[in-house]
Parts: sequence; structure tokens; C-alpha cells
Amino acid sequence: MKDTLVSGEPKATIPSARGSRPADGAAEAARRRKKLITLTRPWLLLAPSLVVLAGLLLWPLIQVGKLSLEDYKVKFGGGESTFTGLDHYQDLLSSDLLWKTVLPNTVFFAFACVGLTVALGTAVALLLNRLGPTWKLICSVSILAAWAMPAVTGTYVWIWLFQPQDGMVSQLADSLGLIDAETTNWFTERLPFYVIATINVVHHGFPFVAITVLAGLLTIPKELYEAGEIDGANAWQRFWKITVPTIKPVFLVVTILSTIWDFKVFTQVFLMPGGSGDNPDVYNLGVYSYIEAFAKNDYGAGAAAAVLLTLLLLVITIVYIRTLFRQGEEDL
Amino acid sequence: MSTAKVPAALGQGKSRRRTSRAARFGLPLAVAALLAFTLFPVYWMVSTALDPKALTRGSDLLPSGLTFDHFDFVFDRGNFGTYLLNSAIVGVSTILAAALLSLFAAIAVARFKFKFRTSVLIMVLVVQMVPLEALVIPLFIQMRDYEMLNSLLGLSIVYIALSLPFAIWTLRGFVAAVPKEVEEAAYIDGASWFRMFWSVLLPLVGPGLVATSIFAFITAWNEFVFAYTFMKGSDKYTAAVGIFQFFGENSTAWGPVMASSTLVTLPVMIFFVIVHRRLGSGLAAGAVKG
Repeated sequence: MKDTLVSGEPKATIPSARGSRPADGAAEAARRRKKLITLTRPWLLLAPSLVVLAGLLLWPLIQVGKLSLEDYKVKFGGGESTFTGLDHYQDLLSSDLLWKTVLPNTVFFAFACVGLTVALGTAVALLLNRLGPTWKLICSVSILAAWAMPAVTGTYVWIWLFQPQDGMVSQLADSLGLIDAETTNWFTERLPFYVIATINVVHHGFPFVAITVLAGLLTIPKELYEAGEIDGANAWQRFWKITVPTIKPVFLVVTILSTIWDFKVFTQVFLMPGGSGDNPDVYNLGVYSYIEAFAKNDYGAGAAAAVLLTLLLLVITIVYIRTLFRQGEEDL
Repeated sequence: MSTAKVPAALGQGKSRRRTSRAARFGLPLAVAALLAFTLFPVYWMVSTALDPKALTRGSDLLPSGLTFDHFDFVFDRGNFGTYLLNSAIVGVSTILAAALLSLFAAIAVARFKFKFRTSVLIMVLVVQMVPLEALVIPLFIQMRDYEMLNSLLGLSIVYIALSLPFAIWTLRGFVAAVPKEVEEAAYIDGASWFRMFWSVLLPLVGPGLVATSIFAFITAWNEFVFAYTFMKGSDKYTAAVGIFQFFGENSTAWGPVMASSTLVTLPVMIFFVIVHRRLGSGLAAGAVKG
């Protein structure tokens, strides 16, 4: 949008239009004061937010970088740190746990979640687009319910559903003869653990994609589909040849945002049985960092893992920002 | 659906018939699947919370009876009232500070053209991507040094920072949507900038401010990592952390867990349905133009 108001404009013109009475020197001084205000006001307005963001987000980020190069010992009334250089990174990058468990868990889990979230979200958006007003409202509210479910309570419900022995899914699978509910524990093994975590994350994440893609679908001119139908394209072809190319930027943004969110999933894994440290097989990068720092009191090693995660996310974020800019700089 | 105006071409009638057949069976099926997937966990949570024999419920779709015993237990023995109050205090402090700060910042980036404006916006966006796990370690150490652990104030300060980026991006859209002519009219009437802000801009941005505040509240209400790490005294737990205590080493009291989960979830759902329409612009941080 180009209509952003340049605040100097009205204030520079209005006083000069009505204020012809003061002497030239005074008017000059007043104009200079106005100009100063115009220059400083946005920064005055921004200052409180910038101070909070710098103090609580940027400064800790610098601190975590510094911490990753140190051994930090907890002492009463302040800590004691010794500089250790890149030792923590060397330990981290040469550990089997990172390469065989933590990174694969993080990456495969994130990609599975993103793929399923975007696919399901898009399918639901297409569905909503075809429904009449009443059912559209009902479905929208049900989607909002899934979206609004807090990560903590949502995770508890999924744990309860898959709980060994007493859980609803366990009992159901047992009565169907698929498993023996007495001996099956889905939370101890990596794959079923992450399948449950994936269902949880997708359930919480697809509403955002559905609603954003639906907003995109509404901007596509109907004529495009009519033309496609005349040319004999079936629904599948119309989706891939018309819908996807037309709202590609929307798909890019939801995919990248989901990737950022799913790489840093913490609560949903940490709260699951074994997720808070008992079972190293199911660590992801965030949980690993947290456990190193707070369960093992090795703040330096935890910080190194946190830096690794932040760098991963930074790369994805840069891609995201460039995508946003390619959509149109006027958006900013 | 959209083919009404197009004259029936040869192959088209067939394709429309195929669509309508798919629609007659496919659509209701898809709707049913969607409703089941989205609502079943909510139903299971609430019905377990009300089920007197929650633990042995198994796969029975209907609860074995209706009782508020689990809710009573949660309040009487679990001290959950205190936790809900703590969460509310933290949430309200977060709202007040975040709404004020983000409104100022949003006006700055939406109404003024200044050097580094785009850089500031991008910084706000980037800062949002930082993983909480990276922040919790240094902030824990910092808060410990300042003796702010176990303090609702310390937690609120962190939440203000967490909710600011999104609030600034959302409110920026609302401020930009107010026509500048309205502001100019106020200036012509002789209003100062602050007078214009108070009597013109603030009432017009009000609905956006409410939506942003509610979202800031939800952020604070739902947050787990910081509350879990900072709050070690059990009287200072927030509700999201307080549920944890019903988990036993070997057995979990699922009735109370689901009852407290219901208490945490329901307010969020109600708020969410109220504000979701207003949040479209900010949610994708510019994902959908217009």
C-alpha cells in the first residue's frame, strides 16, 4: 500500500496555511521544531517495544551464544563461568546421539508434520470452499476448536487416548485383536511415539493452513475454472494447473511458517511419557537442549544445542523473508 | 457450481454429473471425517472429566455417568483455583502492557515514514522465529540472578516480549486500514497529535486492539516452557503447569487431568471463536494480500 501517511505533510502544511501572523524567525523555529518532532516521534513510539524485544529476546540470544562457549557452574547468588571455546560444539557434533537420534527425529518429524499439515489444510480449505453457508460455519467452528486447543491440554488428551492398557485407542485395538493392550506401550518406541506426536501437531496445526488457503482460494477468479472446464480439465487437473500456480505464494508462506513451527516443537514431545528425559530415543533438538541444560545442569552443552536449533531456524526464516519480499515489497 | 452461465458443451455434462455424484457421497463423508477429527479430542476430554469411572472407561463412547467429582477434586485437593488465578493475573498483566506497547509501535510503523522502518519490521518478524528453548536457558540464569524466579511479574515480563511481535504485526494492519483523511480532518479542526490519537485513532483501532489483547492473553495462558522452568514453588504454578501434578509415577488420575484440562481449554476456545475473524490479517504476517 502506498497510502502510508507521511506525518510531516499535514503538520507542515496546516500551520503555515493558517499561521501567517508570527514573525519570520519564529515561524522558522517552529518549523524546525515540527521537523524534529516528525523525526523523533516514530522512534519515541517504537522505543518501549524495542527495549522489551531487545532486552528479552535479542540479549538472551547473544547470551546463549556466549554461554555455549563456556562451562557454567551454578553458584549461590550468581554463576561462575569458564571459557571453553568450541568444546561444547565439538562434543555435540561428534556425538552419536545427535546424528543417529536427535537430528533424524527433529528433521523427519518436522517434514512429516509439515507435509501432512499442508496437505490436510489444503484439502479442508477446498472442502470448505464447496460447502453451503450452514455447513461451512459448522466446519469452521470445529476447525477453530482444534486450533484453540492449547498445546498442553491437547497433548494430554492424545496421551490419554493412546495410554497403554486403559486408553481408548489401546482398548479399541485390543478388542479388534490388533494388539494386546496389556503388553503394548506405544510411547516407548521411537516410531509410534512420533506418530502420536505427529497426529497431535497436525491436529493443532492444520486449521491455520486451512483458513489461510481458503482466504487465498477466494481471490481466484471463477473465470479461470470455467475456462479450464471448457478445455476439459478434470478437478484434479484444475487444482494443479489453476489453483496451485495462482496462489503459490500462499502455499509457500504456510509451508515455511509450518516448517519453522514444527522444527521447534517442544511441549508436545516433552509432555509425552518418556519425553522429558527418561527415553533418549525420542529426543528432538529442543528437548535435548532443555534436558542438557536443566536436567543435567550442563548449561553450556544445552546452549550449544540451542544455538544449533536457532541457526537451523534462521536459515528457514531467511527463505521466508525473501518469499514475503518477492510477493511485493509494498506489503511492508 | 460455477458452471451455470456456461452453455452445456458436449463433454461437460458428463463431468458435471460425475462431480455431483462425488459430491453426494464424498462431501458428507469428508465433513463427517473432519468433524470427527477436530472435535473428538475435545469431546473425549470433556466426557472423561465428567465420567465417574474415568480410568476404566476404556473405549466406551458414552461416559458411564455424569458427575462433577473430578472438578471438585481439582479445586479442593489440587489447588487449581490458585493456578487459574495465577494464570489470569499473568494474562491480564501481559495484555495491558502488550496492548499499549504494540499500539504505539504499530502506529509508528503504519503511519510514519522513517529511516530503517523496513529493517525494524523485519527484525520484529525474525525475532518471532527464535525458539523458546534457546531463550529459556539465558533468561532462566538472568531471572535467577535478579531473583525474579517464582515471581508472576518475572513471568509476565517474558510473556509481554513473546506476544509483542505478533501484536505489532496485527495492529499494524488495523492502523493502516484507518483512512488518513480522518486523521487529517482532526488536524484541520485544530487537534494536536495526542488529541487526534485519543479521540480519533484509538476508537477506530479499538476492535483490533481487543482482538490483539485476547491473542496476547491466550499466548500467556497457554505457555508451558517458561512457566514450568521458572515457577518452582507449587503456589506459583500457572494452570498449564498445574495439570502436571495429577500425573503419578506409575498411574495417572485421568479424571482430574481431563477436568483441569477442560478448565484450561474452554476459556481459550470461547475467546478464539470470538476473535478469529479479526485476526486474519496478522496471522500469516502478510501471507495473504488484501
